Amino acid sequence: MECTKCGNPDVIIERKASGQALCKDCFIKSIEKKVISTIKKENFIEKGDKVLVALSGGKDSVVTLEILNSYVERHIIELCAVTMDEGIAGYRNEGIEISKAHAERLGVPHKIVSFKDTFGISIDEIMALDEHRGSCTYCGVFRRWIINRVAREFGATKIVTGHNLDDETQAIMMNYLEGNVENLAKIGPKTESKSELFTVKIKPLREVPEHEIALYAEAKGLEVHSTPCPYAQASFRKEVANIMKDLSKEHPTIMYSTLRGFDKIRPAIRAEMSHNYEFDRCERCGEPSSNRLCRACTFLEELGK
Amino acid sequence: MKFTVIYNNETFNKESDVDLTIKDLLDEMGLSSTTIVSKKNGETAIEESPIEDGDEIQFVQIIFGG
Repeated sequence: MECTKCGNPDVIIERKASGQALCKDCFIKSIEKKVISTIKKENFIEKGDKVLVALSGGKDSVVTLEILNSYVERHIIELCAVTMDEGIAGYRNEGIEISKAHAERLGVPHKIVSFKDTFGISIDEIMALDEHRGSCTYCGVFRRWIINRVAREFGATKIVTGHNLDDETQAIMMNYLEGNVENLAKIGPKTESKSELFTVKIKPLREVPEHEIALYAEAKGLEVHSTPCPYAQASFRKEVANIMKDLSKEHPTIMYSTLRGFDKIRPAIRAEMSHNYEFDRCERCGEPSSNRLCRACTFLEELGK
Repeated sequence: MKFTVIYNNETFNKESDVDLTIKDLLDEMGLSSTTIVSKKNGETAIEESPIEDGDEIQFVQIIFGG
């Protein structure tokens, strides 16, 4: 087998969806081209943007940082990064070290923010309590709270996350199957809010399959954190992920068509489900909230913090 | 032929009398190519790559929970 682009016999991927076989160099270029074309198509980036990368040290965020750095090299944007320390012993430290190393290598200003310092409690401490809502619920809410606040501290104009094609199609299928149209309406390449306190979130990897992101990291020799979270549990998302992966074996374009189809009906769903939320400030922390307390503070009050 | 397999920080020495590809080995070990990046002698390789005598095959688990 030869690379369909350049004829190199050392092929590292055969894309069943397109029939392409690519060598290392052509594969790396194809991923970068794809991400750049998504950025262009979705108008993700404007000259002068300061982009905050939510950097966990995992493959998705490291690859996001790597590719966006090409915009820094071309003097189009500035980058900054934040890594969360959730307080999970034996798990998070490696990701933090890897994140630090990448930020230093690329000269990107980087903050590490811990749940313990910010909220007075770590995920390990929450999970040791008799009653809790499950680690992922706190983790997601606390992370979003921190990212949003750090974005303002850095003066960032965009927040970039490493959501990939698998993540997006899982979210679409999960919410559709559960009939959760409110959440379905929120899925998309860009998350914007009427409140100026929220920074726009963008997802430049949303059209790249998870496996190709991992292969890109390997092909470029990027060190990534790939240990599973010890609190990861059986979830509906995982069940849906397995169904989509199984379907992809015989129908290799299924994730692309799921995303494309959803993107076409998204404006109609949004128009139907649009709400004019009045954002006020959370009484406790001052972050934007449509209720008296934001979700993070609601949880913290429950936890007695 | 004799070859080495590295997976999950463990190294296994293997022997085979028949021709094998990386895919055959993944199947034998019950691993899925959708969650793994395969390497042959340190370089990323496709599933169809034949395994040859003396090769070092490494499976890097890159996606968990699938």
